[in-house]
Amino acid sequence: MFYLYLLLFLSLLVAVIFITPLRFKVWVTTAVIAITALALAVPSIAVLAGAENFKIVEMIGPLFGQESLTIDSLAAIFLLIIAIAGCATLIYSKGYLQQYLDKKSSAHISMHYAALAILIVSMMLVVMSSGGFSFLLAWELMTIASFILILFDAQRAEVMRAALSYLVMMHIGFVFLVAGFTTAYTCCGSASFDALPICFSQGKTILLLILFLLGFGMKAGLFPMHVWLPEAHPAAPSHVSGIMSGVMIKTGVYGIMRVVWQISNLEELHIAGIILLTAGIVTGLWGVILAAVQNDVKRLLAYSSIENIGVIFIGLGISTIARASGNDIVATLALCGALMHTINHSLFKSLLFFGAGNIYSQMHTTLLDRFGGVAKSMPVTAILFLISTIAICALPPLNGFIGEFLIYLGMFNSVRDGMDTLASAAGILSLSLIGGIVVLAFTKLYSTVFLGSPRHHHVAEAEEVDGYRIGAMAIPAAGIILIGTLPQYAVNVVERVSMQLSQSSLSVFGGYINPTLCKVSLTAWLLIIVIALLYKLKSRAQANRTISQGPTWGCGFTSPNIRMQYTGESFSEGLESVATNLTQNTIEGRRVSKSEIFPSSHNYNVRHKDKIDRLFAAWWVELLYIINKRIMALRTGKINNYILFALLFLVLIFVLSLLNLI
Amino acid sequence: MGAIALNTLLMIVVALSIPGVINRTRSILAGRKGPRLTQHLHNVKLLLNKGAVYSTTTTVLFRIVPTVYLGAAIVAMLFIPVANLYPLISFDGDVICFAYTLALARIAIIFAAMDTGSSFEGMGAAREALYGALIEPAMMIGFATLAMFCGYTSFAEIFEHEQSFNLHYTIIMLLTAFLFVKITFVESGRVPVDDPRTHLELTMIHEVMCLDYSGVDFGMIQIAGWLKTACFSMIAANAIAATCCFYWWFAVPLAILLTGLSVGIVESTQARNKLVRNTTFIVTISALAALIFFIGYLLQLDINI
Repeated sequence: MFYLYLLLFLSLLVAVIFITPLRFKVWVTTAVIAITALALAVPSIAVLAGAENFKIVEMIGPLFGQESLTIDSLAAIFLLIIAIAGCATLIYSKGYLQQYLDKKSSAHISMHYAALAILIVSMMLVVMSSGGFSFLLAWELMTIASFILILFDAQRAEVMRAALSYLVMMHIGFVFLVAGFTTAYTCCGSASFDALPICFSQGKTILLLILFLLGFGMKAGLFPMHVWLPEAHPAAPSHVSGIMSGVMIKTGVYGIMRVVWQISNLEELHIAGIILLTAGIVTGLWGVILAAVQNDVKRLLAYSSIENIGVIFIGLGISTIARASGNDIVATLALCGALMHTINHSLFKSLLFFGAGNIYSQMHTTLLDRFGGVAKSMPVTAILFLISTIAICALPPLNGFIGEFLIYLGMFNSVRDGMDTLASAAGILSLSLIGGIVVLAFTKLYSTVFLGSPRHHHVAEAEEVDGYRIGAMAIPAAGIILIGTLPQYAVNVVERVSMQLSQSSLSVFGGYINPTLCKVSLTAWLLIIVIALLYKLKSRAQANRTISQGPTWGCGFTSPNIRMQYTGESFSEGLESVATNLTQNTIEGRRVSKSEIFPSSHNYNVRHKDKIDRLFAAWWVELLYIINKRIMALRTGKINNYILFALLFLVLIFVLSLLNLI
Repeated sequence: MGAIALNTLLMIVVALSIPGVINRTRSILAGRKGPRLTQHLHNVKLLLNKGAVYSTTTTVLFRIVPTVYLGAAIVAMLFIPVANLYPLISFDGDVICFAYTLALARIAIIFAAMDTGSSFEGMGAAREALYGALIEPAMMIGFATLAMFCGYTSFAEIFEHEQSFNLHYTIIMLLTAFLFVKITFVESGRVPVDDPRTHLELTMIHEVMCLDYSGVDFGMIQIAGWLKTACFSMIAANAIAATCCFYWWFAVPLAILLTGLSVGIVESTQARNKLVRNTTFIVTISALAALIFFIGYLLQLDINI
């Protein structure tokens, strides 16, 4: 029955979106999503505040038997993330799609909004589902909806390519998920996450873990399955990239959490932890180094999402390892860190993509080195982007710091206690390197785009965007500042989840995390107050003095021009010379050679491609092509041939059953 | 309360004295008489009394940055204990807060440099960002070594108790002190990584980033630089003092002399690295830090080596 209602709801929603007039489509969608979000947010908050798990519906799935939609504490956190990011995305789309309303057909816009609504609803279903058929259905809906969303600019060839490769990769992941659930179903008669412990007790833990890791990792963008992210995000409209990167890839993290938490055998838990930690370290480092060398705003942001997934997995890995060795404080700290980072990343990454959308809609390019000095023409965007930049660099006093602080604190505690020292040291080493390179990547992004002088006349003529977009961006910005300055309250959101895992974590919260975060918050406020005081002192000191303006000091060179500014490409050149083996550069045009004293005009274009891309264009892909061609020969189009195939199949079954093979 | 006030005061004393000692060491080694020990204070006082010239390319961000830079350095300083005294801010994991507060200072100054649209300052900013990224692991794993050996994760507690004489402890503490002296060189932009006295903007790192600052702003940046140097040399001095004589009256002169003499001597005897060699130099420090951690780990296990 449930599936019928769901289908009815979705088709009604789509129909309503299609029949409303063009200008109101966004409001209809927003209204529906806001009501759904509110209806789910209330029980979510109740669950997080300590109420019992909220069971919405129970049904018999067509494949895997008993299933239910339940809001437990983990689902509640993700529901809140989806609700907030979903509403912000819809409000943002009102402003962003304004310019497309008279360019695209009404059906096209309706399709987009319908897909957006289905994406948000399906993500909610994913996190509420107990597993099995309803989970797979919602997962598939999510994939299809996001595929349609990426296709918004389908007339561009690269968009089509990116969307198709996304669809293919997601379905490869889907196969692993189906395999995982089927394995679970065959050994314990139920495919819900709660039944997994029974399978795990039968010695299939690592097999199942790998299957789920491949399936969910494809969505989350774990190395080396991340290649779809840097293609899909630049192709999609900015609000879509925002919600995909901020929220949708987190459903992969969600799935992994659900699976790993069911492992109870300590030895296997330890192995699982090591796997997660390794995956996190490799993904994080790969993502951040590739992010730092990109010269396209949205590709850079996409790689940074990969890096953040890496950070979350480092936290999860450390927490799992610590749980295996019975170190409850570390387990709780790292877990809280990972969850907080999940929440935080959804806020600042949406904000960053919205900001990228603002500058794209004004200047119609995302190439870093075309911008410069945007802060002067779009000051509000510049301030909001600055907030998210500082947050993603994990610097105090904003929210990014809180998540990483908790993960670090967990690792430091584990080193201090002398338990799992080497794993934690590896975590500290890589997390600090990641943190350092993130600063490089984002100072490059921010300063090339927003600071300095405009490199192009489009930039100088740009205008600030409309109020809807600014309003939508203010939502995550407010969250960033609130979590950053008052972490001791924000962290209570994840308290319930960690209590589910270990009973002693309540005392860890009251006795350790809250007091420590109180001090962190005091430090943040101290920092803000000191800076404000210094600024006041400085303005007072300068009040009666001569303050003059002049051109930037050219170090004795009297006619510096705009093209001499440091570009994004030159900013990361130092890192490129270190990490030269990780990227494959495609070069168009010719470099100015050193022997040219009076250089003529040159055209020189470098694109840093991911070496992993080659993995997906290697011999085995060619082999697939050939096999595919052979099989296609069977498709004759003649009905008598097909009947023959059916007959052959029946004979085969008959023979096999005669031989007792099936 | 008194201990906290004395601690903060001593940190300021250390910060203000180090540049004088460095200059005096250099002048003695060069056979000059050299400026008086407080010359740098007079210079900054002069700056603080001046007006300012701002570039027309810059935005409001450029004017806020010096306060953020100095503010972050001040807050970072408040984490560091002076031997047996107690710092103002202390909690579990404050080592992380310390590192990230300094990172805030770094990102601020990078933004300011890029805001001017100057190619030279961009050069400095790019180098600062890269070197900052590469030195971060060294710092963090250095803190982890301290945490592992002392059993605490905040500066105040790490350095709180004088340990009874223990060979392993002494070895690790001395190695860590050495590590932090090296980090001081990088973080405060000294030879062999960066040469503050160079006259070619193309080869500068830190100095070139504040080319467009003048007056009060430049004064603030200078003070922040001293504070940063003081933080790292105090950590190194604490680590040494913890092995022999753990009192503030020993640690303070030690911190001043340790950095003052080592920087002075290195600057008088060595040339600055070629810029391409800097990356190797800094990565080597990180490798060294990891090695020290590993030695510490082995010693902790009590394996006879």
